[in-house]
Amino acid sequence: MKEIIAVIRMNKTSATKKALVAAGVAGFTAIKVQGRGKLVESPEAIAGRKAKLMDLAIDDISEPEETEKLVTGFLDGSRLFPRRLFKIVAKDDEVSKIVDALIQANRTENRLGDGKIFVLPIYDAVRVRTGEYGEEAL
Amino acid sequence: MLLIRAVVRPEKKDEVLFELSQAGFHAATVIDVVGRGKQKGIKIGGVVYDEIPKALIMLAVRDEDKKDVIDVVLRAAKTGVKGAYGDGKIFVSPVEEAYTISSGAVGL
Repeated sequence: MKEIIAVIRMNKTSATKKALVAAGVAGFTAIKVQGRGKLVESPEAIAGRKAKLMDLAIDDISEPEETEKLVTGFLDGSRLFPRRLFKIVAKDDEVSKIVDALIQANRTENRLGDGKIFVLPIYDAVRVRTGEYGEEAL
Repeated sequence: MLLIRAVVRPEKKDEVLFELSQAGFHAATVIDVVGRGKQKGIKIGGVVYDEIPKALIMLAVRDEDKKDVIDVVLRAAKTGVKGAYGDGKIFVSPVEEAYTISSGAVGL
């Protein structure tokens, strides 16, 4: 048995739920988390994202300097971003199918910030209702 | 690869994250949790508080970085010189595979 931990974008929650059902596993646990990824070091990627965020600002209600300060704070890695953490426990032979489904459902054109997936071993599972152990409990 | 889960005081969260970043471990996931430890919570007067808020910091690291990360967290999360009850715990579990969603790349 394996535990699949996926950290994904908040707005991809329902797409992920659909993808999981399509992949044949309906059960999951989701938590709201905050996090940050690897520090982005490529100057082009940062400049592009900064221009995009600055365009979103409404000049009538915010000072340009303050907007810039805020946007820089978003990009220099000092902030945590809201993300959704999915935990799925699956049988060994289903893991690659689920990982593929998660990757397909969560990929965006922004690339940076799409998330990470970790696969951890689980030694045992118990269904509370019946007391079954192991893979039967899944 | 290892997944390191550190339960620390919520007021120490920013300090731990800053120190981790300084040490080169920038990526992390933070969850607000409640829990109790060996001391069975805190008793103030007649009231027992056993759902004490903590921050759970989760990060995946390479095997060889385990000691560095643990040292950083121990240093940053400790209160006072000797430390105190409630400073938290660190758990380490194995990670078999890791994927980056945007590229599908395997590994950290």
